[in-house]
Amino acid sequence: MNDQAPLRVIGAEIERSDAHVKVTGRARYSYDAARPGMLHAKVLRSTRAHAKVLRVDASAARAMPGVHAVLTGVDLADVPMPVYGYFIKDQPILATDRVRYEGDMVAAVAAETEGQANAALARIVVEYEDLPALPDMEAALAEDAPELFEEAPIGIVPPYGAGSSGALRPRRNVCYSYAYETGDPSVFDECDHVFEDEFRFSRMHHLHLEPFVCLAHWKEGDEIELTTSCQNPFPLRKEIARIFRVPESRIAVHVPFVGGGFGSKNNCKTEPIALMLSRRTGRPVRFCLTMEEGFLTNTQHAAILRLKTGVMADGTLVARQSHVLLDSGAYSDASPLVAEKAGYRVAGPYRYKHISSVCDCVMTNQPPAGPFRGFGGTQATWASDSQIDMIARRLGIDPMEMRMKNLVDLHEPWVPGESGVDSDMREGLDLVAREVGYDRPREANRGVGLSIGFKDGGGVNKPAQARVKVSTNGDVHLMCGTVEIGQGARTALSQVVAEVMDCPLARVEYLPLDTRYTPFDQGTNASSGISVMGQAVERAARSVRQQVLQMAAEELGTEPDKLRLDNWTVIHGNESHALAPMIMGRYGGTGFEFTGDGFHKQPNDHHAPLETKSVFWEIGWAGVDLSVDPETGQVFIHKLVVSGDAGRAIHKLVCRGQDEGAALMGLGQALYERMIHDGTRLVNGEALMYRVPLAEDLPEVFEAITQEQGHGPGPFGAKGMGEGAMLPVASAVANAIEEAVGVRLTELPLTPERVLSALVEAGKA
Amino acid sequence: MTTLSENGKIDIAFTLNGQPVSRATTTSRTLSDLLRDDMDLKGTRVACGRTVCGACSVLVDGFPRAACSTFAFEVEGRSVTTIEGLEAEDGTLDPVQAAFAKKSAFQCGYCTSGMILLARALLAEHQRPDRETIREWISSNICRCTGYQLIIEAVEEAAETMAGKEAAE
Repeated sequence: MNDQAPLRVIGAEIERSDAHVKVTGRARYSYDAARPGMLHAKVLRSTRAHAKVLRVDASAARAMPGVHAVLTGVDLADVPMPVYGYFIKDQPILATDRVRYEGDMVAAVAAETEGQANAALARIVVEYEDLPALPDMEAALAEDAPELFEEAPIGIVPPYGAGSSGALRPRRNVCYSYAYETGDPSVFDECDHVFEDEFRFSRMHHLHLEPFVCLAHWKEGDEIELTTSCQNPFPLRKEIARIFRVPESRIAVHVPFVGGGFGSKNNCKTEPIALMLSRRTGRPVRFCLTMEEGFLTNTQHAAILRLKTGVMADGTLVARQSHVLLDSGAYSDASPLVAEKAGYRVAGPYRYKHISSVCDCVMTNQPPAGPFRGFGGTQATWASDSQIDMIARRLGIDPMEMRMKNLVDLHEPWVPGESGVDSDMREGLDLVAREVGYDRPREANRGVGLSIGFKDGGGVNKPAQARVKVSTNGDVHLMCGTVEIGQGARTALSQVVAEVMDCPLARVEYLPLDTRYTPFDQGTNASSGISVMGQAVERAARSVRQQVLQMAAEELGTEPDKLRLDNWTVIHGNESHALAPMIMGRYGGTGFEFTGDGFHKQPNDHHAPLETKSVFWEIGWAGVDLSVDPETGQVFIHKLVVSGDAGRAIHKLVCRGQDEGAALMGLGQALYERMIHDGTRLVNGEALMYRVPLAEDLPEVFEAITQEQGHGPGPFGAKGMGEGAMLPVASAVANAIEEAVGVRLTELPLTPERVLSALVEAGKA
Repeated sequence: MTTLSENGKIDIAFTLNGQPVSRATTTSRTLSDLLRDDMDLKGTRVACGRTVCGACSVLVDGFPRAACSTFAFEVEGRSVTTIEGLEAEDGTLDPVQAAFAKKSAFQCGYCTSGMILLARALLAEHQRPDRETIREWISSNICRCTGYQLIIEAVEEAAETMAGKEAAE
């Protein structure tokens, strides 16, 4: 391609490259992986929330039909380092001396069938001694609460830049704390008003349809083969290597299509147990969790957020102090990373003279919480942008006007040391306000709310590598570690290559992911597929293109910049030369392969609060038009408009689908979706009782508008997508409810019961 | 004719994707296990395992059924259609499949087989369903990725294609 030519593949109306295999049922997932001689694993889970494990008697289970191996905590003695977690290695492969939540894994069986494995588990006797359980953060932070981890697990604090800091175990039952500060707190003294509010955020489960599942084979000679439904295969490989002290070069992680993850499929989940059972039996072991077990394996973080915001009488924001508590559950998982992001993002997309935030990860006797679409940004936006609206109304200022006044400008660094915000946030707000009918006169009990969600995108300190190879006939191979989890990465990244190579999309093959051969990638997360990997892929493709043109120029006795490519011919003025014969003429009849490598990472920068400047800024705008029934508290959504800025839409329907999916997830969170606990017991941890949005829950009118503002760092101006539209929905709904009926709800979800009791309290029902 | 022998073994005969098949199985075998593990038809996805999410939907005599919670012996003498049975022999996609592909009415793809079969059943019942009817029908299945809008549009598009074909015939 030359830079003046119109784009041919980017933005074109073409089918996704995985369309055919997915609509015909041919797509294969880890769930489908099978091998001759394969055994099935199942685990026994703790029935106690917090207890000492006094005795595990598995002798009867070992004698059960079809059983090949039984593992209990004592078997971890064979494993060099049998604990895992991101910053803090606190989660044992199996419980040893203690269980810390109802659902903690206590024993594992490998048998010929799942039924036999379950039958054997029923014969295992566990003797517990109950300890006081801590069902929520208030209980865990109480002065007389027992310490859930008596000894400090191994942990690290990563390097941070200006204003950021982290601490391990700063106090009782807090495993990690992140803090950020900029500007002088004395500016609070200048403020005309200071408002303090508290917000509560309920916890969802990802409910990815493909379960947590892997097929593990520990072969002779300590060679490991693992097919797993995982978003981050390279970090998983590193963790497996560390746990079992096996060279990474002897571990092959394969990731086929992944049937949804939304953050959950990271780090160790099923893999260590399956590997231990495979090593013990010498057989491949499949370990598939049920959906019910999924609820006990990873969840979103419930949160309590306390915000103190100083403002001038005209609505100019001055300062914000925040304290965020995240319910991390029994093990830290990715909690410290989520804390970083919730703490960093909670000030929102506005300009302040002073920001100070602390985010604590509180350990409780609940299932472990981890990454969830939005990654702390959802919690942060719920509080941040609810409070902005509340303040505007208290001051008698139009909430939209107040946002317009305070939003950070396009290209302005959000905070000192950060990259410039790469969307015009006012333009987006204006668009959504217009589309939802913000200025239209409204009937009684009807309200329109706006909100902006905002997160740093592309991950922190995240390297990505890619390789593009083109063989003699012009067949293009793309090798990179971004997992196709539904987001359309295979399509979009292949489109980038096709555009650079001037070939049809069908010519580009996205090769299967195998950690032995695929170039390193840190993981499929943080909306980094296009914004980070996309840059590596584009560089790899441009390198190949340049090599091909150089070769052709030498063969034709001209300069590369006099040539262009067109579907594997080289165009020189009016002449067109087929490349295959030219290549064989030069390299011999068996041909040749041109290989290009690409790399991208934001440079380290101590002036940036998170050590690297944000790759891009992911903004989600939402406008909600709703009615509230004052007799029942029922909320009826007339119209939901969301918008994201793709920078440049590589594939328009994929972008639209990302925003619609994210927004509906956000709407479920706003209105009803949550994990419900009775003390430490999860009462709705299965598909029937756990309510997720269905088609019948769609708003009367639902629009997702993809903006293409063109300022992204990715290929052709693209930015990341997929999380932004989830962020602002809950706050937009709460803001619209206040507009409709004059009551403010600060706790999610916004159920009819809560709306009604707020109305009763206000004397409005 | 179903014959039940000792030890829960059972022989069943049914029509699968238009072809007669017979199989020796057990009384506790689910239809999804029979299809996926015994007949290698892995396009039927299993997710919740208890009739809620609809990922495993197949058509039994034209109506959607959750294969995860249907015993294999229940389809004795019946006609079962799975996602593998929708393409024409020459590989031409069924109009619903083609519309899902064109509209990108899928993301991770795990609910897609069930959604497409559900839409087939819907369009057999209602040639030109309105939006409300489509919403109501597909509310029996969970899609966690798309937000359903593009699925609804794909079903509308398939209905149009099929109506156009009928008019041409």
